Amino acid sequence: MKKTHFLYLAFSLILSSCLRLDSNLYNLSDKISEYKRDGFTGTQDFRLDASYDIPDSLVLPLTLKSHSVKENRDYSIRAFFIGHRARIATDTVIVYCHGNKWHMDFYWQRAKLLAHVGGKNRYGVLYMDYRGYGLSEGTPSEEGLYEDVDACLNWLKQEGLNNERLIMYGFSMGTSAATELSSKPRSLTPHKLILEAPFASAAVMAADGAGLDMPSSFFTNLKIDNAEEIKQVKQPFLWMHGVNDLFLGIKTHGEVVFKNHTGSYKEAHRIDGADHGEVPATWGFRNYIETLSAFITKP
Amino acid sequence: MNTTNPLKVLVLGLILLQACAPTRVVKPLQKGEQQVSVHLGGPLLKFGGAPIPMPLSSVAYARGLNDKTTAFGSLHTTALLFGVIQTDIGICRELYSHPAGFGISVNPVLNIAVDTWEGNKKLWPELSLNAYQSLYQKKLLLYAGSSTWFELASKRAHGETQPNRALFHAQLGLQYQRKKFSYTLEGKYLGMGLPTQPNVVDYIGLQNKGALGIYLGLTRRF
Repeated sequence: MKKTHFLYLAFSLILSSCLRLDSNLYNLSDKISEYKRDGFTGTQDFRLDASYDIPDSLVLPLTLKSHSVKENRDYSIRAFFIGHRARIATDTVIVYCHGNKWHMDFYWQRAKLLAHVGGKNRYGVLYMDYRGYGLSEGTPSEEGLYEDVDACLNWLKQEGLNNERLIMYGFSMGTSAATELSSKPRSLTPHKLILEAPFASAAVMAADGAGLDMPSSFFTNLKIDNAEEIKQVKQPFLWMHGVNDLFLGIKTHGEVVFKNHTGSYKEAHRIDGADHGEVPATWGFRNYIETLSAFITKP
Repeated sequence: MNTTNPLKVLVLGLILLQACAPTRVVKPLQKGEQQVSVHLGGPLLKFGGAPIPMPLSSVAYARGLNDKTTAFGSLHTTALLFGVIQTDIGICRELYSHPAGFGISVNPVLNIAVDTWEGNKKLWPELSLNAYQSLYQKKLLLYAGSSTWFELASKRAHGETQPNRALFHAQLGLQYQRKKFSYTLEGKYLGMGLPTQPNVVDYIGLQNKGALGIYLGLTRRF
């Protein structure tokens, strides 16, 4: 082989290198054909007893259009609103951005728990499957996450919700959308922000994984830069994190995010013994609900 | 809670590809002698409940500058597939040798990686020390040693203090040497004593510390 051919081949190989971790970071492995909510029998972090049941009449399935700016097309995404629709125009709504795993059925128990903050169906709760998750169209992307959550905020806005009555809640991967849309508001500006087990950033993930401080761009184009985005968040902030979180360590992820919040009010809840996803159950549902309720109603 | 799927764990394991290769040269070549090697392997991960080594690959070239010093360089081919141009260049210097086949060598190495996505780069020095013993009329070469990666940055992302300025590894290897070819099997204990949890990667270490790795090598001498 001529030297020029070899160089051309090597150069082409470099330019054609397209392996990225991005698409593999999304956990879509549990495929569903319908939402079953309480009828979902797959693995769950916890199951609530019957006292937490929500009547079907207070669960509104939604199919919303989420516009992709990059692709200039709409995706059909699925969401549930839990509560009294008519009260959206007058009362508080918690928007829950779920984690990386599967779909809304997996997080149904968590949504029900939130529907008991302040009392049964005291506040409305809206949560959604991002594109590619559950029955939502498309494939996941970081920007898609933000666009999908904003599509839900836009629906709430059309229903009469205003900034002062919007509480944004993110769990794990969902903290990226919750933080982004709190620091750079789109349809609505959240009044308060709640983050459970947040990522610091893709950079911290890479550094933790490598041992050395490797740039995250070596592996992924994702940024998920909560640790920087939170600096722009001035809203009151509640952070909770399992001390025994073996997936997103409290020290390298959660503590950094909490420290970087520079707003006028923030509170931290480090839950002993809780691994990733175990905060509500380990803390105790009553403690969890009462803490959130106090935060939401705090003047 | 399992927030990960097997593929994610598998691919995230590639994070260690940036700093993961077997010992390039243990015993210096003779002056003018050359060799080309292909290496495959990596740290062990839990994959679907079973331990598997990461299939990290690299090619390396070495040339004897004199009978005691060999220069080498490499290209990490798996990293290249991720758009990361990575090399480790260095020398293997004989510190001591005995006619009975025993020897000690040291490898100062410079690892360099640049990604083609954002142009970010990383440079980290490495120092390896190996003792080796030729066995069975030089058909086998048994070696053991340690290597250390040095983190030059005092800060990491978001201005946080870099917790690890040096990572220590231990290796134990065996080379089966034929006339032109040699075959290598090397085991490593990466990041000795470094807690592997919490972490997004399910490394298999010892008591949740470090990561065990297995590497295969094929070498052709000229």
